[in-house]
Amino acid sequence: MKAIFLRILSLPETFLSCLIITLFALISQLDPSFLQWEVQRSLSSHIWELAIIAIPMTLIILTAGIDLSVGSIMSLSAITAGMLFQAGSSMPLACGAALLTGTIGGFLNGFFIARMRVHPLIITLATMATYRGIAEGISQAKPVSGFPAGFTRLGQDEWLNLPFAAWLFLIMFVSVFWVIHRRALGLHVYAIGNNDTASRFSGIHVDRILIGLYTFSGFASALAALLFVARRNTAKADIGMGIELGVITAVVIGGVSIFGGRGTLVGTCLGLLLIHETREFVSWHWNRDEFILIVLGLLLIVSVVFQKLLRHKQNSS
Amino acid sequence: MRDPDMPSLNIQNLSKSYGGTHALRNVSLKIHAGDIHALCGENGAGKSTLIKILSGVETPDQGLVQWNGSHLSLGKVHEMESKGIVAVHQEPVVFPDLNIVDNLYAGRELSSGMGTWLNTASMKQQTRDILDSLGEDLPLNQPVGEMALAQRQMVSIARALFNQCRILILDEPTASLTTRESDALFKTVISLKKQGVGILYVSHRLEEVFQLAEWISVLRDGILVSTQSSKDLSEDALIQQMVGRKVAYPSRQQPVNTDITKNKPVLELKALSRTPAYDDIHLKIHAGEILGMSGLVGAGRSEIARAIFGIDEFDTGEILFNGKKFQNHSIRKAIDLGIAMVPEDRQRQGLALPLSVETNLLLPSLNAFQGMTGLDRSQMRSISGQLISKLGIKTGSPDNPASALSGGNQQKIVLGKWIHQNPSLFILDEPTRGVDVGAKSEVHRMIIELAKQGSAVLLISSELPEILSLSDRILVIAKGHVSGELAREEANQETLLKLSLPEEAKQSP
Repeated sequence: MKAIFLRILSLPETFLSCLIITLFALISQLDPSFLQWEVQRSLSSHIWELAIIAIPMTLIILTAGIDLSVGSIMSLSAITAGMLFQAGSSMPLACGAALLTGTIGGFLNGFFIARMRVHPLIITLATMATYRGIAEGISQAKPVSGFPAGFTRLGQDEWLNLPFAAWLFLIMFVSVFWVIHRRALGLHVYAIGNNDTASRFSGIHVDRILIGLYTFSGFASALAALLFVARRNTAKADIGMGIELGVITAVVIGGVSIFGGRGTLVGTCLGLLLIHETREFVSWHWNRDEFILIVLGLLLIVSVVFQKLLRHKQNSS
Repeated sequence: MRDPDMPSLNIQNLSKSYGGTHALRNVSLKIHAGDIHALCGENGAGKSTLIKILSGVETPDQGLVQWNGSHLSLGKVHEMESKGIVAVHQEPVVFPDLNIVDNLYAGRELSSGMGTWLNTASMKQQTRDILDSLGEDLPLNQPVGEMALAQRQMVSIARALFNQCRILILDEPTASLTTRESDALFKTVISLKKQGVGILYVSHRLEEVFQLAEWISVLRDGILVSTQSSKDLSEDALIQQMVGRKVAYPSRQQPVNTDITKNKPVLELKALSRTPAYDDIHLKIHAGEILGMSGLVGAGRSEIARAIFGIDEFDTGEILFNGKKFQNHSIRKAIDLGIAMVPEDRQRQGLALPLSVETNLLLPSLNAFQGMTGLDRSQMRSISGQLISKLGIKTGSPDNPASALSGGNQQKIVLGKWIHQNPSLFILDEPTRGVDVGAKSEVHRMIIELAKQGSAVLLISSELPEILSLSDRILVIAKGHVSGELAREEANQETLLKLSLPEEAKQSP
């Protein structure tokens, strides 16, 4: 009994939940107006794009990989949709082409990583530059706007008090959660992250799974790009600049080991929530950008060091 | 030459427990410089824990260690190393991308020109001297990671010597060595002893324990059962102390099934070649047959096994499985056809160590447990439970991580993960490496059982008695060629050894 209790106590999810509760307690003392539903909703419109990309990123980091190109895939997909729309194509076709572009971009990452055995860090660093460069080249760095209302409503309308993007995220989260925890594929992902050689030797299709995950990541990035364009009614090549750092930070704060094999989707969501609330509150209350960076950096250090200590304690007890 | 009162490592009342299990209980031991002191015990008896404490990786719950009368502060690797207490592990830890010289000098490079240049020439010369004193001739410029396990181990020992070590802990040093390499190691050990180094020699191979050690200590379930002079101890008595019961080895006199070769061949290799690893390999294994594959480490045996299992490509030749040509093969195809493989390096190739025993056992067959509503956890639990009891895997729960188990029990998982799919061919690469006496004979019994049930077994082993006692037929590989095929009756240790030596070595004995 005591052992189970200790185990729950040392889970990164428990630690993060405590941090989040502390944060909310602190906020309610400093500035309770921040906690109003309307404020929260208006500040959270952009978080769903990050959250959608964080799902495949979690899986990829679980396999001991990484995808730095998500922001550039967003940009390339957004520009694809924008340019097609400008050239007179219908909006559904433009959206379909954008999703396809992102999916192919992700597939290429996966192909080089799995079949050519190039390290994910290197290949996605390369495609991060390449995809963004192509997007800038095609668009000549000019923004496209004036999208039809039927499309921009996707970025602004709500259903049952939640924006459309939030529903997309929830559907994605629930289905991926089910696959990871209830299908063989989930255990395969953890096995690859723990020991990819032993996984290969056990007949797991390591290559196929990796290609699938990077392709999924490309698709999710394209989806996030469309949500972004719909919300802002603008497609520009600088969309998603630096988003990969935000996503990876959330995943790592969420307790997913950067070396693979350990971590959960729930952890990632908690990490995302913690970062989001901290960042928004600091900017709401003090309105100083440099504070945000300092606070986020400290948060990352504190949370990772603390989780490491907890795990060490658990292993030695 | 020797100090009149030799310094000694004095271990007093060490206790250590993990969770609820006592790994060590009140263990006291004294190792004198210049003595070879063997430590025996089954897997899980506490040997590894003791080694970890002595090398400073673990801190004991209780007890103390003195070197030459002064207390050592435990749990600090640096403290142990600076006192000259060095452990060389079963899976040697080296810098794989650096060559031997850089491995030996890592962190204490020689420099000249007031520290501006590395003194490469003298580092090389001293490395060569150390290797000469070990009787080894290894290429100085090759990255150590590309060397065979046996050679990497020599590099580790050389590194320990280099560290001015006073107490050398050898953990299963011969587990991956061939007979000839082991003999070279024994010479080294004896010459170190003469130089006044105290050696704690941990091994499962009892012959060598008796050959080398003056003192033998036995651990069982974390308790020190005895410390005796090796002269007062017989092998049988030692085994009994280790296991607490008598162990029956699989007898050589199993009923010889003369009909085996009339069974249909399960696997056939025709002129299989891959330069430079192996060339023109022909072999046939029949259902119910155990084919032993003997030879030196690096002769090409593992490479042939890898080709059959679809891990590596081959250049020319054919692999026939149940009479059909095996084409575009991949590991998954091999598994689906009914081939199982227990790889050479169980920690790196066989197990996802941090995952649970159950997940590891079911890893190749997880898809079979998948229904509309997801994985059938209760069926997974029942199959893994059956396997755990059938194989006698000692674990508190199927949810424990595989890393918490002893080597023998880990090996049972690697074997067990194939068993419930009834493969028709088992490829076993060094299946009892680093496994203790008790678990070893259990693995042997399992191998015989598999053959009885009609599976074909390709048994690769560097341990001659193992090959001799289990195989129906023995193939010897030397330098990538089949140098001989023997029926079990004609084979003995000398013929196997002679056949496994490369040509030039035979001519100049």
